[in-house]
Amino acid sequence: MTDTVSPSGRGRRLRQRFGYDERNAALFLAPVMVVLMGVAVFPILYSLYLSFFRIKLTRPNQTPFVWFDNYTDLFSNELFWVSVWRTVTFSVVSVSAIAVIALLVSLLLNQEFRGRRVLSTILLIPWAIPYVANALMWKWIYDSGYGALNGLLYQLDFIDKYMIWLGDQDKTIFLIANAFVWKEVPLATILLLVSLKAIPADLYQAARVDGANIWQRFFHITLPAMKPGFMLVMIYETMMAIRHFDLFFILTEGGPGDASHVLSWHIYVETFRNLSFGSGAAMSYVLALVTFALSYIFIRTLGRRI
Amino acid sequence: MATTERANLIDDRRRLALSHLTRNVVIFVSAIVLMLYVLAPVTWLVSSSFQTEAEIVSVPPHWIPENPTLMNFEAIFGATAEEEVTYETRSGQDPASGGYIPSTAGNLLPAMGNSLIVATLVVILNLLVGVPAAYALAKIRFLGRDASVYFILVTRVIPDIALVVPFFLVIRKLGLLDSLGSLVLTYLAVTVPFTVFILVQFFEGLPDELDKAARVDGCSRFQSLVRVFLPLSLPSLVAVILFTFLTSWNEFLLALMFTQTEASQTLPIVLAAFTSDFTISFSFINAAGVLAIVPPVVVAVIFERYIVSGLTAGAVKG
Amino acid sequence: MARIRFEHVEKKYSNGFHAVKDLNLDIQDKEFIVLLGPSGCGKSTTLNMIAGLEDISDGALRFDDEIVNFAPPHRRDVAMVFQSYALYPHKSVFDNIGFGLKMRKVPRDEIERRVREAAGKLEIDHLLDRRPSQLSGGQRQRVALGRAMVREPAAFLMDEPLSNLDAALRISMRAEIKELHRAMQTTFVYVTHDQAEALTLADRIVVMNDGVVQQIGTPDDIYERPKNTFVASFLGNPPINYIDGQIESTDGSTARFRRGDLAFDLPASIAAKLGSSHGREVRLGIRAEDVDETAAGAAGSVIRGKVNSILPVGSDQFLGFDLAGQELFFRVGKDLAHNLGDDVALSVDLNRLHLFDKDSGETLLW
Repeated sequence: MTDTVSPSGRGRRLRQRFGYDERNAALFLAPVMVVLMGVAVFPILYSLYLSFFRIKLTRPNQTPFVWFDNYTDLFSNELFWVSVWRTVTFSVVSVSAIAVIALLVSLLLNQEFRGRRVLSTILLIPWAIPYVANALMWKWIYDSGYGALNGLLYQLDFIDKYMIWLGDQDKTIFLIANAFVWKEVPLATILLLVSLKAIPADLYQAARVDGANIWQRFFHITLPAMKPGFMLVMIYETMMAIRHFDLFFILTEGGPGDASHVLSWHIYVETFRNLSFGSGAAMSYVLALVTFALSYIFIRTLGRRI
Repeated sequence: MATTERANLIDDRRRLALSHLTRNVVIFVSAIVLMLYVLAPVTWLVSSSFQTEAEIVSVPPHWIPENPTLMNFEAIFGATAEEEVTYETRSGQDPASGGYIPSTAGNLLPAMGNSLIVATLVVILNLLVGVPAAYALAKIRFLGRDASVYFILVTRVIPDIALVVPFFLVIRKLGLLDSLGSLVLTYLAVTVPFTVFILVQFFEGLPDELDKAARVDGCSRFQSLVRVFLPLSLPSLVAVILFTFLTSWNEFLLALMFTQTEASQTLPIVLAAFTSDFTISFSFINAAGVLAIVPPVVVAVIFERYIVSGLTAGAVKG
Repeated sequence: MARIRFEHVEKKYSNGFHAVKDLNLDIQDKEFIVLLGPSGCGKSTTLNMIAGLEDISDGALRFDDEIVNFAPPHRRDVAMVFQSYALYPHKSVFDNIGFGLKMRKVPRDEIERRVREAAGKLEIDHLLDRRPSQLSGGQRQRVALGRAMVREPAAFLMDEPLSNLDAALRISMRAEIKELHRAMQTTFVYVTHDQAEALTLADRIVVMNDGVVQQIGTPDDIYERPKNTFVASFLGNPPINYIDGQIESTDGSTARFRRGDLAFDLPASIAAKLGSSHGREVRLGIRAEDVDETAAGAAGSVIRGKVNSILPVGSDQFLGFDLAGQELFFRVGKDLAHNLGDDVALSVDLNRLHLFDKDSGETLLW
């Protein structure tokens, strides 16, 4: 027993309050906490602080404190509301498309057939592609002069002359959504597959014995069992969609006109082109709060503790 | 009596065969459609990257290059080639070309190098920071554990666009603008929560008694982590490494804010710069795009198993 | 070599669960102590506190005279065998056994020698290059024992080490563990919920329930002289039978237990302990094996009832016995032939009766 610790005096009281495990846990968590405090919590608080000032880098010496002016200006700014509306359109369209396509694909990949492994590996390709490369690829496909979309539709006689797809105010946001959907479907499929695989096989056998046909089995067993997976996909993809930036930057820069002027683009323009950091911060804060609200729902609905 | 029974049996068998056939046809057709949906855009990009500028501007397009050329790739790797590929040398060979090879073509490889450095550093820092935290959250019972978990969870959902403004000001104040350090730091914030969640989940799956046995055998907490838990968590470590690597490799928004010159520009930034210039050769841009796509796709395909397990774990947990 | 002492030890979890309450226990050097109780009684928590795997909320834990409350496990000289064995899946059997020595910086050749010696004793020397996944349950158990043995620790802790083994192996391992204790000459603390293990192995048994020590004593004490109804019920198969009734006419030398028509004349030794308890409500305990059908029962020692069920258990049979609506179980010889519904009279061994206070459940006898 020579190497036992015999706490005494001052050390003893300290150790009683913070045991060996507490001290170790603190030590092990310290790096993560420092990193997250520094690069996540501090910026969030700092941007809250900034959002109460009128900061324009073009006028670096005048940064008056303006209370909630940045916020009230925001809500009276027409372009802001346009961008909110664009973001909502983009998110609703892409998330519903992702959900439907991912459902079909996951049902397919849940079957046993030859080549299933290969197919699911191929499916990972869009996920792995950098967003910028994805944007570049779709920009080329949509190209008005030489793009594949024009070429294909022309060869199939759907159109009689090449179209300027991304220049069409009514179509732009849907075309961008298509590029987004293409890249996001794999992840959504994988998440749905998890909930499909969790359905016990004897549930289907029992339903068969009870005389349920394939549609009844789908609507009464498969769909209800996929509900958590669906919620997860919906909310995760919504979060991804409302903050998405890369495609808008490369494909349209918010145009034509304000047809693809989404919130994230608006923040970018306001901050880095107009250099008004105060109102950029205010908008960032609004977006962050919306995301927080969404993720709160996300956590509550799934109710999973880690 | 016996004959009708037999007829029924044959009938049933036929119906069964028919339903099997229907199932197979449906699966076959959907598999083909899915494959086309996923592969067609990429194939088209790859095909275009092997075409000359004259061929690429043909209407309707050539789906398969008639005179495949490596010229576009040579422009990128050209630094080592005998003859430098520039607008002049190239338009000589390809007079129909309206597009030119930008002088920034030579930046692609250094940018890839930057991406590689940043991604590698982010992976290493992630492991250094995330592994002990995950062990503590999974195996040590301490006051504030739940609060810590919740805290990390919350930081995971902050949209990066919301971080951009304060990040920018802080990075500027630190004098880190246009440096790889700014990217490493910010990517770390984006990836660490995910790393912690994957590893927490994995460690929680390992029995508590293993940890207790190690500690009774004479391991401190740290030794238990290093000597018992780490050797067992290789699969989840691979998932973490792949995921953080790909995230850093692909990131665009933050890099766009913090980098200005080729000293710190990463691959996505150089790539994006090409797309905004209408005068640049299409086939060249496509070749650059193909180069950006190949490494992550190869990695994803090779390590498919780990990526899928990591993605599901990460998404479900966070 | 260690004496382990608990002084007013408390364990409260942060969720408010009070796992161990005012534990006072003095474990002698080289003693074999078994902590016995149902799951959730605090026995494993107690063991973990000795190992340093659980914090102590209040009180003191001493190894010899030193307070070790705050020493982490790796600074305590204890070894432990777990229910799941907890072998390191990535290490060979040799490295599993030698790991504790390696962590304590024992020289390589010494590790080699001690591991081989332990493996030889446990007859697993041919398995040293295998991985745990290649071993049977019994072999894993031996590796886990070996891992603890080589350490030559001051205290040897075991948490339900046999409960994952099949019945036959469990009994032969009991003998080996007893032999191990004899050979190692060190303090053993053994946790189990299996009364048979406790009775075979222990020098002393600590019976726990709801975080409170119910009784500490030799196996004989615990079985023959249970302090309360919990201890009495926890040991014995089938469990002890209780009949509630009253004490009659005690003058210090004679006493009678009565419940309706049933009456037992209590022997003088018991009566002497009852003092003047006339009319006291008591709970009478009769162990299942303390009845005899063959002996001619004197009046005042006979219990009559109807056979309700017959459960042959090989060597004996259990008789379900209906006593005016109450179900009792007795263990009788298997050559006694009964049919369901027969009326039987059994004579009770009055010297082995147990008497408890009906309300508190505490014994009235010792």
